[in-house]
Amino acid sequence: MKSYIKAAAAAATLTALGLAVSGCSTGGGSAAEEGPLTVWIMGDSGANFEELVAPWVEESGTEVEVVAVPWDGIDERLTTAVASGSGPDLLQVGLSKLRTFADAGALMPLDDQLGDHPGLAAENFPDGIAGEASAVNGETVSIPWVSDTRVLFTRTDILAENGIDAPPATWDELRADAKTLAGRGEGQYGYYIPQWDSPLPVFMTWSNGGDIIDADGNVDFDTPEFDAAVDTYTGLYADGSVPTNSDFDQTQGFISGVAPMLISGPYLAKSIADSAPELEGSWTVSPVPAGSGSATSVFAGSNLAVWHNTDQVDQSLELLEYLSEPETQLEWFEINGELPTNVDALADETLLSDPLVQVYAEQLADARILPLVPNWDGGVGADLLTALNSIALNGEDRETAIETLITKSDGVSVN
Amino acid sequence: MSIAKAATKATPYVFVGPAMLLLIAFGVLPLLVALVVSFTDMDISGLANWSNIGFAGTANYERLFADPDFGQAFGNTVFFALIGVPSVVIVSLAVALLLARSNSRFFRALRAFYFIPAITGIVAIALVWGYLYNTQFGLFNWLLSLVGLPPVQWLSDPLLAKFSVAFVAIWRGTGLNIIIFLAALQGVPKEYREAAALDGAGSWRTTWSVVIPLLRFAILFVTVTTVIAWLQFFDEPFVLTDGGPLGATTSMSIFLYKEGFRLNQFGYASAGSVVLFIVIALVTALQLRSRRADVEY
Amino acid sequence: MSSTETPTLVIPEPQPASPPTLPLRPSLSPRGRARRGTGVTVLVALALAAGALITAFPFAWMLFSSVKPQSESIDYPPKLFADQPTLEYYVRLFTELDFDRYLVNTLIVVLIGGFGLLFMAMAGYAFAKYDFRGKSGLFFLVLATLMIPVQVTMIPTYLILNGMKLTNTLVGIALPTLISGFGIFLFRQFMSTIPTELLEAARLDGASEFRIFATIVLPISKPILAVQAVLAFIGGWNSFLWPLIIASDQNLYTLSVGLALLNQQIAVNPSLQMAAACVQVVPILIVFLIFQRYVVQGFALSGLK
Repeated sequence: MKSYIKAAAAAATLTALGLAVSGCSTGGGSAAEEGPLTVWIMGDSGANFEELVAPWVEESGTEVEVVAVPWDGIDERLTTAVASGSGPDLLQVGLSKLRTFADAGALMPLDDQLGDHPGLAAENFPDGIAGEASAVNGETVSIPWVSDTRVLFTRTDILAENGIDAPPATWDELRADAKTLAGRGEGQYGYYIPQWDSPLPVFMTWSNGGDIIDADGNVDFDTPEFDAAVDTYTGLYADGSVPTNSDFDQTQGFISGVAPMLISGPYLAKSIADSAPELEGSWTVSPVPAGSGSATSVFAGSNLAVWHNTDQVDQSLELLEYLSEPETQLEWFEINGELPTNVDALADETLLSDPLVQVYAEQLADARILPLVPNWDGGVGADLLTALNSIALNGEDRETAIETLITKSDGVSVN
Repeated sequence: MSIAKAATKATPYVFVGPAMLLLIAFGVLPLLVALVVSFTDMDISGLANWSNIGFAGTANYERLFADPDFGQAFGNTVFFALIGVPSVVIVSLAVALLLARSNSRFFRALRAFYFIPAITGIVAIALVWGYLYNTQFGLFNWLLSLVGLPPVQWLSDPLLAKFSVAFVAIWRGTGLNIIIFLAALQGVPKEYREAAALDGAGSWRTTWSVVIPLLRFAILFVTVTTVIAWLQFFDEPFVLTDGGPLGATTSMSIFLYKEGFRLNQFGYASAGSVVLFIVIALVTALQLRSRRADVEY
Repeated sequence: MSSTETPTLVIPEPQPASPPTLPLRPSLSPRGRARRGTGVTVLVALALAAGALITAFPFAWMLFSSVKPQSESIDYPPKLFADQPTLEYYVRLFTELDFDRYLVNTLIVVLIGGFGLLFMAMAGYAFAKYDFRGKSGLFFLVLATLMIPVQVTMIPTYLILNGMKLTNTLVGIALPTLISGFGIFLFRQFMSTIPTELLEAARLDGASEFRIFATIVLPISKPILAVQAVLAFIGGWNSFLWPLIIASDQNLYTLSVGLALLNQQIAVNPSLQMAAACVQVVPILIVFLIFQRYVVQGFALSGLK
């Protein structure tokens, strides 16, 4: 008896201790509560974001609680938030996740509210992303926030040494130049294709005047424009112009000159400037090459959305409107280096005084977002890369591989 | 008196109670949920609103067995387990036996070195090994170039990538098992350990025919848990290759993770995890069975 | 063997080291034996040292890379030592992150893990030394949880915690990984080797069951407790997934989550990440160095026979 009581007492003490520790935790974060607006921001820019919204907080009297979510854990974080129904009030959504979370009903449709908030209207943003372009099933569920695109990086010094006096303006020129540059010797390449980069073959198709979505909204890889893109993609490999290892480091490859041309985003410019300041002046960026049609690139970046069951709709929209103002977005570029989406901000003179930014802004005017099919990254995008890489790297039969791709993506649609 | 007896009877339950409650809440219950989910078509809209979930019968299982990607993942997992388990068990046993030869300060300091891989976080592993294996500027290829060999695509060649990620996992997996074997070796009577520490044929014979049999439960334990770990192989391919190139390092766990969290096919992924659970349970039961037959014989 | 074993799944009980029949042949004179033994030990020591260096090399690389300026981080041919070593990245870690808060949170999670350790030891003891109804069934459950793939049970587990209103608490972060079947199994295996006579003797002296556990069983189990403590510490220290999902408030982030914030989507700064990785590994290494003394202390079994 005695031993039992003692054991029970010990167990009770432990439980009590456990509860005491749990008492230390803080509340908050749930959308159901009144109080501060909770905002989920991706990456490590939480402190910067707090700085950005400070004036709004002061003016509106509404506190903002910023939670930075690591890029590595977005899927798990958002999925569990959907499962439990408790999320933030406002959140940053990468464009590739937009469709998934809109489908799950996690994002509040904003069309009814837009009339009261002129700052959120579609005309404030570039066509590639505004209104219809990023609407899911005809509903506006998000507002453009930061933009990102792909441009062509070239080592002008190396190109000049090999008799090429300007960055290639078309994919055909790029292929020819890449071949010349790869001829510099063993271990030297002309161009680099990231093996994980699913937008590349898509905007190659766009630049041929085609699309991978047909008139009914279904994914369609059975087009001459896509076929021409496959020619370019696999041709670069067939020429021996592209490194075949999947762990090729683009920064190192570009700095060392092993891959003197590649298509990448603004983050690469920063990487180069940080790692190899001595290269200043011997590299440049230009718009992506044109196909048989245009020189279209991909519009990447993130939007902001309102969580479906927030009870602070008005404050959330007001904050959204503040964040969409050109001044706010320019300040964000100033403190965090991410490009604005507001058209007036993109046309700002100070912003454009940077020649790199000028090229980005020019490219954003001719850029589109990837089709909003469910799960682009894990689904169609992954299948597309598997097909192209198996042809280029494993020598798989082209027709079979494309046939498999078409079968796999059959029935996937943006509707 | 009868109360006291009842209390004594209750004692073991008091001891196991807290641990079992937690295990059931966070181990068994979720598995049962996964079992139920595996018979539904649950996706992310179903997760948000349970009225969107439909009963799918055995459709997920039928699809699973017809899915070539799942077949590939299954084959890869078997391959990983076949090279990983013997390597980990043999290397850690050998190192532990050698480390146990002496209790000097030097030998004790060495233990820490062998344990370092086990405590290194997965982010650090991705960084350091990604660097060592890098085709362009990695250390391994630089060493090869010193002896005039061409660069090797450690993580890009489909076959070699399997070995590369497995090697990292072996490197990381031995530390803990060395510690377990060392702890078990403390239970071996001193005179046998001392005999084994001496040289000559007698030493090897003593090690082989006395010490190792005395370690058989530790060996069984390490083997069983190592087999389970390799059948759930996830971390290394996830951070080093993300299952690539072209699925060559996609284990069953990676397949499940991608179906679940990248494609939000929770019903399908649950079916896969139930299958993986059954495979692990069968393999484990087989090992324990054969072990018992061994003991009884 | 235990009388309550299931017919299908049986874990052999570890048997106390029974005296083997193999004769120990003193073929050499004691001194000659010792001398030759020393020679082999030196060889073994050299081989082990070489192996240890190779094993720890990636770790050393991490340390050295963390003080390389970014411009040197991907130099080719590779160099172990930086030309211009810098502590800049460590400074950045401590100034840009809420490092102190993440550290405190991590320590609390690790401390809660201590309860898990006690619970596992208690359960392991009961499985090793008591016979009770449902024992084999419960032990089967323990083994079964070892085999559960974590990836898909994550969402149900989250929903359970959410139902218990434990999301966004440090306890919620620690709970899912508090108990491991692996730990109970390990405790049970080692506690089975404690002589039952010892416990009976204590019972005859009138000691309560819990007292026996606290004053006899736990002290004897020091080596395995040390192993488990190190494991629990590593687990709590490195835990990433649960803090990430459970903490919707950044004030509850642990070190791993805080460090993951540094990971940009594509652009990376290898030196900064290496520094972050070092900051995370070094404390575990220290804990291990402290505890390994106890790990090697050994069972006090020989004196009990």
